[in-house]
Amino acid sequence: MSDFFSKIGELFSTPEYIDSLLHGFLLTIQISYFAILIGVALGTLIALIDVAKPTKWMVVPKFICKIYTTVIRGTPMALQLFIMFFVIFAIKGFPSIIIAIIAFGLNSAAYTSEVVRGGILSVDKGQTEAGLALGLSNRTIFFKIVAPQAIKNIIPALGNEIITVIKETAIVSMVGMYDLNMAAKDIGSGQNMASYLVPMVTAALFYLGTIYLITFIVKRIEKNLRKSDLRTEE
Amino acid sequence: MEENTELVIKNLHKSFGKNKVINGINFRLLEGERVVVLGPSGSGKSTFLRCINWMEEPTAGEIYLDGELVTSKNIRKIRRNIGMVFQHFNLISNMTVMENLILAPVKLKVMKKDEARKRALELLKHIGLSSKAEAYPASLSGGQKQRVAIIRAMMMSPEVLLFDEPTSALDPESIGDVLSLIRELADRGMTIMIVTHEMSFAKEIATRIVFIDKGKIIEEGAPNEFFNHPKTPRVREFLKKVL
Repeated sequence: MSDFFSKIGELFSTPEYIDSLLHGFLLTIQISYFAILIGVALGTLIALIDVAKPTKWMVVPKFICKIYTTVIRGTPMALQLFIMFFVIFAIKGFPSIIIAIIAFGLNSAAYTSEVVRGGILSVDKGQTEAGLALGLSNRTIFFKIVAPQAIKNIIPALGNEIITVIKETAIVSMVGMYDLNMAAKDIGSGQNMASYLVPMVTAALFYLGTIYLITFIVKRIEKNLRKSDLRTEE
Repeated sequence: MEENTELVIKNLHKSFGKNKVINGINFRLLEGERVVVLGPSGSGKSTFLRCINWMEEPTAGEIYLDGELVTSKNIRKIRRNIGMVFQHFNLISNMTVMENLILAPVKLKVMKKDEARKRALELLKHIGLSSKAEAYPASLSGGQKQRVAIIRAMMMSPEVLLFDEPTSALDPESIGDVLSLIRELADRGMTIMIVTHEMSFAKEIATRIVFIDKGKIIEEGAPNEFFNHPKTPRVREFLKKVL
């Protein structure tokens, strides 16, 4: 036990270790952040194509989206990451952070599209009909009526997706990137502390803290959005 | 076409896949008429009503409002002149009562925002709900929601008002409130079509009853005639069950 505490002391009193952890943490956050942005943007686009009226112009886009989500959701993330690194972006000197962001962004988009699609479809049909009967345009109905209600349904599931992405980025260590997960392994290795427990528990706490914070924020947003559902007046 | 014809429907058909719901309805609605559409469940009476403003796009047939043929091009403009009240109220849940009322008139530039708000407040006051202007629909009772839905349709000053089973989702007490509001509109000369199961209300308010079965108009006539001297066996059988 005293060894455990002395290791904690060692980790937090060695500037290089702290530096490594923070660098790793920063990379994890950077990849997650931009991947989520791509995921939400592309995922929303895919969802909109999916729920759009099946006119002849939409046949090909709908088909492409279907294939895309099927392939992404049907193959391991780690394999997708490898394909990005060793096949598609096997270009010397190409920044690996960009490749990782693209790989996770494209992956997240497939899942986010399902979340957004479900959110849009869960809005009661009567809400759209009310707008139509009043003579409103499809555009107004979507932006003023459907989208605001869909967002309420999307936010909680989107929170889960964000959490998933953050945790999943840990596999970038498999392609040699120095993220939080890799930092823990590196600090614990023989050349450094020669003990994995303390650095890995510390890394776990970093992940946990981040995810706890995100859960907290999502809950707050959710609560705010639900205001119009309350039966009592404000 | 006569001067006071609001609506003409010619040979209307509607199918959902292979299921033929409306099988050739011809119908004419005159200004100031109050037509109650009756029929057994599954007869197509709601679908008939919903075809009029293209909530369901007709499979075949023609609909004219004020002599103008309804097409996919002008349907939005036509809908402004045909108000609709739904069974499940369909108040927009992310908007307050006031926002529900002024959304269409302001968006469609029928009124300025101030004007619309003023009109909305007058109407709310009239139905005794001015205190609910800033409330969300979730905090209203069913009867209150439906009355707000009715004045929301009235905000656009439509030529015709369609009611699709407006009281079917309400408790008995609220039904009275909603019916008296409809009665009031009727007294003011509003042209109304209503699908309902409230027989005594139908008898009282209608200037004409239309009976639909299997997607066709089987019988129509003045309420007195219809209820007291039904001509067809199908209507006699129906009335025996419901009265």
